[in-house]
Amino acid sequence: MRTIRHVAVNVFKECVRDKVLYNLVAFASLLIAVSYLLGQLTAGQDVKIVKDLGLAAIAIFGLLISVFIGIGLVWKEVERRSIYGLLSKPIRRSEFIIGKYAGLALTLFVNVAVMTVVFYAVLAYLNTQFPEVVRTAWPAPATDPGMLRAIVLIFVELLLVTAIALFFSTFSSPFLSAALTCGLWVIGHFNADLRNFEAVVESRPAALLARGLYYILPNFAAFDIKNQVVHALPVPAGYVVTTALYGCVYIALLITGAVAIFSRRDFK
Amino acid sequence: MKARVVALCVVLMGGVVGLQALHEHRGGPPASTSTNLLYVRSPEAMRRLALSYDALLADTYWIRAVQHFGETRRSTESTNRYDLLFPLLDLTVSLDPYFNVPYQFGAIFLAEEPPGGPGRPDLAIALLEKGLKAQPEKWEFAQAIGFVHYWSRQDYPEAAAWFAKAARFPNAPNWMAPLAATTLAVGGSRESSRQLWRQVAESEDAGDWFRREAGRRLQQLDAMDQIDQLQRAVSSYAARTGRQASGWGELNQAGYLRGNPVDPTGVPYRIDAGVVGLDRQSRLNPLPTAGVKIGLPQ
Amino acid sequence: MDAISTESLTKHYHVGFWRPRPYLALDGLSLSVRQGEVFGFLGPNGAGKTTTLKLLMQLIYPTSGRAEILGKPVGDVGVKRRIGYLPENPYFYDHLTAEELLEYFAGLFGYSGQDRRRRIEMLLDEVGIGPERRLQLRKFSKGMLQRVGIAQSLINDPEVVFFDEPMSGLDPLGRREIRHLILKLRDRGCTVFFSSHVLSDAETLCSRVAVLAGGRLVAAGDLSELLAFQVRGWEIVVVGLTDSDLEKLKTDGVVTHAIPLGPQRFALDLPLTVEPARLATSLTAQGVQLVSINPVRETLEDFFVRQIGTAPKDRGLGTVAR
Repeated sequence: MRTIRHVAVNVFKECVRDKVLYNLVAFASLLIAVSYLLGQLTAGQDVKIVKDLGLAAIAIFGLLISVFIGIGLVWKEVERRSIYGLLSKPIRRSEFIIGKYAGLALTLFVNVAVMTVVFYAVLAYLNTQFPEVVRTAWPAPATDPGMLRAIVLIFVELLLVTAIALFFSTFSSPFLSAALTCGLWVIGHFNADLRNFEAVVESRPAALLARGLYYILPNFAAFDIKNQVVHALPVPAGYVVTTALYGCVYIALLITGAVAIFSRRDFK
Repeated sequence: MKARVVALCVVLMGGVVGLQALHEHRGGPPASTSTNLLYVRSPEAMRRLALSYDALLADTYWIRAVQHFGETRRSTESTNRYDLLFPLLDLTVSLDPYFNVPYQFGAIFLAEEPPGGPGRPDLAIALLEKGLKAQPEKWEFAQAIGFVHYWSRQDYPEAAAWFAKAARFPNAPNWMAPLAATTLAVGGSRESSRQLWRQVAESEDAGDWFRREAGRRLQQLDAMDQIDQLQRAVSSYAARTGRQASGWGELNQAGYLRGNPVDPTGVPYRIDAGVVGLDRQSRLNPLPTAGVKIGLPQ
Repeated sequence: MDAISTESLTKHYHVGFWRPRPYLALDGLSLSVRQGEVFGFLGPNGAGKTTTLKLLMQLIYPTSGRAEILGKPVGDVGVKRRIGYLPENPYFYDHLTAEELLEYFAGLFGYSGQDRRRRIEMLLDEVGIGPERRLQLRKFSKGMLQRVGIAQSLINDPEVVFFDEPMSGLDPLGRREIRHLILKLRDRGCTVFFSSHVLSDAETLCSRVAVLAGGRLVAAGDLSELLAFQVRGWEIVVVGLTDSDLEKLKTDGVVTHAIPLGPQRFALDLPLTVEPARLATSLTAQGVQLVSINPVRETLEDFFVRQIGTAPKDRGLGTVAR
């Protein structure tokens, strides 16, 4: 456990030194610039747009970090041979993989947390820009804490994407890993279409295959409740919990697979 | 060791599938509204934001406009208002003024009465006038403005004036001048309407959906003729026997017609309390308000 | 108990994508290294030295055979606490400073606090990393990385250290420092197992060597017993030798070959029968300055060629089986 934490902290340090957190500056600038400009372009919908944009930006910035750092986590150590020195130390390969994953998870957590704070700060400022009578017409207050449910699921989704990237990077090149990870992400968002596939096709094997993929491929669409929280529609707590649980079980599966593959690998 | 890893993977995979099944069992993600919202309504601002991609963006807005139209038309809500149709089309043609389909689309569907459209002939005309400003040589736009006046406003003198204007365009087809004359003389007659739509249905450069729409209008006109004929038969049966026919069977027995009459799309006509009409299932619904719009022979 | 022992350790690689052919990187290596000795693992490039070290670190898994360190199978985390490893051309994390790298590794051993800091200071001093220890490793030269690599291998005061080409990338001064360091480790009772393709490294350091060629062990034992490596003659470099004196030396049979290096400056080859010290004294008396004296030996490559007839090339399994 101590070893895992130690590796994780080093990953976090690497991310900080490699200026990954600069994306937070980009995020904050984007949100502030947009909320300033919106007043010029639209009438009255500013708060909704900032909410939409903020949640989407948290998801996309996080996704970029997950994929592009996730695929390099293990690959970089193997390619640059820094893993030679590390694995001769008292550390198991499983601890190495889990530690690497935990480190990126920590980086993502800090990122998402800071982005959330900036997000609410911009909304709180916008809130002061509207008279009481306009505010009462909104479906939800500007700084609606209910949006945290969407952010929690975004975070779990990012953890799942990271696990996929890590899994692929234990045995393939970064380019291929990135392509496969992004591919799964896109498919995972069209998951419901796989479910409806059988209504469209005649062939039974094709329908069964689609059904099987629907159950096996990661269902990223389930994690997306951005629209619901922005309109303050009901999202049961049970839904958030089961979806998060689904993500965690899937992550455990991917990490187990990554460890199994990585443990048998030769570093030529 | 290996067996344990495999067993763990199987258990976890089972968990994944189980939770996914639970997700489906509960009916997927909580209901969400896909509220249509147009973030940027000012074409001027949009053109600046588009950088050098305005044509591409115009395509995007065109697709959005068509989708918005289709979704609203299919939706069963009573409040479908086509609110975004004009702004979307307006953005599209502002970004790409030579994109002709949106003008034609707007000319037809912006003017259409609810539930088939927002019932805004004024906006249809505004869009077409914008088109004429951008492409002053397009006689089609002038013709389409006349069309809107003719069809939606039943303002036949105004329609004739626009058709006459269109006829003066250097490249206008030679049937344009007679069209203007007919409109002025027998404005609102079914025959002039038919002539108008036939031009569209046979024109080369109109889009598929436009030709299809023209075909539907022609079928509506045919159906109206057929309904008139059938109505005459039903009325004379009623006059002769002193009671209303309850179905086509009675008329068949009485020798007024043979078989069950169907409309041009193949759906049988109905008789309701002595009045002949389209079946509710027919694609031709709703017919233009007879008498007012098309000028039934009185 | 031996510090290191291997038994028929074998590793095949598969080369070629469409039709993988096995390539024999290491063929049945049996070896034992006693505790407390400095053991040289010699062989030309591509002989299988690095493969052996990677097998011992369990960076790769053997096709067959067995390897133990300190009586435990390789890969045992308990054993890893007691060993150190310097990879060939070591490379570490760009974003860390030398100090931070050592802190990271020390943390893996559970060291912390004042004790850890003192140990890191001492090790970096020992390998000759000065104030640049606070720079990120991306700014380090090859030789400096080599020194950091040696420092990190010693972070846990190991009982056995494995050095893969410890002298590569170092200047002559650096080589001397590392030599001293290895001898110091030996004096502390640490077993040192190092690989090299340079014979002189082994001569100055080890009691015993193993020689590897083409993935196979070709010789092992005490260095002095391996007669193959005896001196074949001497080479001396002198300044101030006149041409007439050189001719005289040649006709006397004292010098077999002379290479002019500059005006009155020559490199002279002496046969084994000539005692270099005596010649040096007489030349000095004639006013000739002596620049250097070096023994001329058989190189490892000469040795292999003689040992197995030809330099090994084909290492496909089929060839080996025949």
